[in-house]
Amino acid sequence: MTEKVEYWVKIPFGPIHPGLEEPEKFILTLDGERIVDVDVKLGYNLRGIQWIALRRNYIQIMYLAERMCGICSFSHNHTYTRAVEEAGGIEVPERAEYIRVIIGELERIHSHLLNLGVLAHDIGYDTLLHLTWLAREKVMDTLEAVSGNRVNYSMVTIGGVRRDIDEKKRKIILDMIKYYHEVFPQIEEAFLHDPTIEARFRDTAVISKRVALEQGAVGPTGRGSGIRDDARWSERLGVYPDLGIKPVMPQDVTGERPRGDVFDRMAVRIGELWESLELIEHALDGMPDGKIKAFPKDNVLYAKLRLMVDGEGIGRYEAPRGELVHYVRGKKGSDKPLRWKPREPTFPNLFSVAKGVIGDQVADFVVAVASIDPCLSCTDRVAVIQDGKKKILTEKDLLKESIRKTREINPDIKGDPTPVGSSCSR
Amino acid sequence: MDAVTGLVYPVAGLLGLYAFVSLASLVWEGIDRKLVARMQRRIGPPILQPLYDFLKLSSKETIIPSTANYMFRAAPVLALATAIALLAYTPVGFTPILASKGDVIVFIYLLTLISFFKMLGAISSGNPYAKIGAAREATVMVSREPAMMLAIFTIMWRIGKLGVPKPFSMGVFYVHNIWEIGTPMSFVGAVILLYVFCVWLASEIEVGFFNIPDAEEEIAEGLLVEYSGRYLALLKLTNAMKAFISASLVVAIFFPWGISGYFNLTGLSANVADLLFHTLKVFALLFVVQSVFRAVTGRLKITQAVDFLWKNVFLASLVGSLLIAMEVIM
Amino acid sequence: MSEAHANEINEVKEPTKAEKVAKAIADRFPEAEVQVKTNKWGRQRVWVRIPREKYRELMGFIKALDREAHYSIGIEQDWGDELGFLSHLVIHYDDAPAVSLIVDVHAPKDDPVIPDISEVFPIALQFEREGMEMVGIDFEGAPDKRRLFLPDDFPEGIYPLRLDDKGVSEEMVKNAGHPYYLKGGAKK
Repeated sequence: MTEKVEYWVKIPFGPIHPGLEEPEKFILTLDGERIVDVDVKLGYNLRGIQWIALRRNYIQIMYLAERMCGICSFSHNHTYTRAVEEAGGIEVPERAEYIRVIIGELERIHSHLLNLGVLAHDIGYDTLLHLTWLAREKVMDTLEAVSGNRVNYSMVTIGGVRRDIDEKKRKIILDMIKYYHEVFPQIEEAFLHDPTIEARFRDTAVISKRVALEQGAVGPTGRGSGIRDDARWSERLGVYPDLGIKPVMPQDVTGERPRGDVFDRMAVRIGELWESLELIEHALDGMPDGKIKAFPKDNVLYAKLRLMVDGEGIGRYEAPRGELVHYVRGKKGSDKPLRWKPREPTFPNLFSVAKGVIGDQVADFVVAVASIDPCLSCTDRVAVIQDGKKKILTEKDLLKESIRKTREINPDIKGDPTPVGSSCSR
Repeated sequence: MDAVTGLVYPVAGLLGLYAFVSLASLVWEGIDRKLVARMQRRIGPPILQPLYDFLKLSSKETIIPSTANYMFRAAPVLALATAIALLAYTPVGFTPILASKGDVIVFIYLLTLISFFKMLGAISSGNPYAKIGAAREATVMVSREPAMMLAIFTIMWRIGKLGVPKPFSMGVFYVHNIWEIGTPMSFVGAVILLYVFCVWLASEIEVGFFNIPDAEEEIAEGLLVEYSGRYLALLKLTNAMKAFISASLVVAIFFPWGISGYFNLTGLSANVADLLFHTLKVFALLFVVQSVFRAVTGRLKITQAVDFLWKNVFLASLVGSLLIAMEVIM
Repeated sequence: MSEAHANEINEVKEPTKAEKVAKAIADRFPEAEVQVKTNKWGRQRVWVRIPREKYRELMGFIKALDREAHYSIGIEQDWGDELGFLSHLVIHYDDAPAVSLIVDVHAPKDDPVIPDISEVFPIALQFEREGMEMVGIDFEGAPDKRRLFLPDDFPEGIYPLRLDDKGVSEEMVKNAGHPYYLKGGAKK
């Protein structure tokens, strides 16, 4: 009996799991604690956004794009807008470009701080989670003061931005920059020099450069593996080249060659926090006066888009999680795009990390998933409905089903499960 | 010795102790949560929150997975019963109720039995996460106990050399303590062993580095994943009591001094005063080992934890034991 | 679409990276339609339309042009009588600006077969899986044809993003559409 017997088990990781912020299913094949294989099943957040978009006009889709995800709402809106501007040949005033940079970088700060906290939480280091998220409140407040909302800022419109940054808002942003110049060194110290963090993140879920290239990893995930690309830089997007953008690589932060592990991805994020602060400072200094919109009113915009958009457009932007691409195809005379497809950075990153985590332990899996900063609600954006064959489940049916299941599990349950009060009349 | 003193007093004492320890350990959990919350700049729950949780959970319905067998239901009860039995051998400021010659073995046996029952219940639930949790618990257990056992046997043997009526009993710490050995070497050894016991305590109550079997984010609370309602309440209480009991051991070894002597108390009142003072010391120790430790670290991987326990803690235990035993051996 | 267009490679000034790539592709694949378009903020993109027979070969050629080519998106769409699969790639990104390359390939609806390119770009497989379930393109030789986004009990033969009768019918739609048009399901 020389043959080696392998006791492999398949366990579902998700759709609902405390380590995952959003519903997504991974099927792990385990050999003890070692991960042998990972299969990804997407689609637990499908809201049929592309299908809905077939029935919306250009301006309505801006709001739809924004609501794909709360954290990268600016990125989606911005990239979609870029795609429409390219398809329609619309020029954007320079001041608007600067304001886009400012909001985009504010969003990046808040997103990266969020992810750092989540990473700390996933190794049970809750103190760091609370401290980073406390620091994040400042940028959220700033965003609220500038745009009126903590998420879904609605700052961008096709051909410009909606709101100007005046002297008062400028002062708020400068205050924030001052605050972060005090706080970021602490965060950097905690994340880059803590022994527990180093023990858990170093050489965990290594995505080699080859795998990263094959699976098309983008953003901090790709840069952590040594792919020197940043869509803001390689696209020469807007005024970013004037502000001195360059891709942040792990060696800029840690001083070591990129290894492609969780630690490098985290280090890239920390480097980008500093870069974003600098970009905001430069943008505030260099912001010219002038118009902020190409078209003063939405109804003008609506009419113009009907005439101007004819053909295809690609928008590329570096969202906090990586390169975001939107594609828009329109036809002259129609107020709706014929096709709109976003591709969010989590999509390729998820598959990269699924390859990268093979051979590691179960304990690493949740850290690995968090290290790409997954935005699963962005990734699931497509399909439409429940089953058409058997029957269609509505809210009421689902409630009925869940009551039935509860009774099945526990027949002598007490209490009346019918909902109290009037919920949505649907 | 008639039946009343032989049977009724110990049972009454045990019941009283059980009531007190379950209350105190739950209150400590509340204090711990509050303190950690303050360290993390949060407000934190009320101090009595674990008590409310316990009461709430006991009144909730209990869901038994269809894959579970009878051990799933028996395990929490057995675990709590073991914890209560363990109280009779726990030094809580005075010589344990059932202290006798060689009862340290019973103590260690019962302490591991609690973990064993928890694992048994988890495996019986049929949940893969619970099984992973049980496997992790078993791995950590076999790695942490040798260091502790080596240390405690050495200490007891060494204290026994100083002359005690019942060697290898949990009561010896109140006759002579580890600091009374007196040589400089033994002092260094005692400090090293204090470190060993603190790490052991942290791994026993699964905080900080060692929050591995119950890792919430990784394996969804591992051992507890399928438990709900009354059984969860029982397990939570068992865990809290286990933390108190394990800490009591460390306190008894290293900080056994009571206060009743200073107030010239005798009998029951002396015991009560010592128990209260002991509780305070347990809280202070747990503050360092539990609250601070879990506020300043994250959890390790299972392989790293096992490495740490063998290569660092067991080695330290060996060195400390040798230092303590040295002048007797030589 | 912007004014600038088409193959002005023979201009006097030094050709940009994008134009060089366009020329290389046009020379190698005479049957491909290659265009360099510049948008309003001066960004050039190379748009390539390739017959499906040459699709795999073109992808291999791009990979040979730049070994670190980055496949960024695959877009499946319904063109009316044809189904299209459009890919966006970023190549030569070692210095800015990188070349943004768009490859479009079409297949008629009665024979919606497009060669699979997951051997060249492994990530393309996931976009192809999406294409298969969303508009019903058949990727010939794809190693994994399971569904990616749609639930497993979604009816066969229905492709949500098709604009013809194979798309989602009105009766299937519940709780969707504009809130003011709830009664009739989706808004037309």
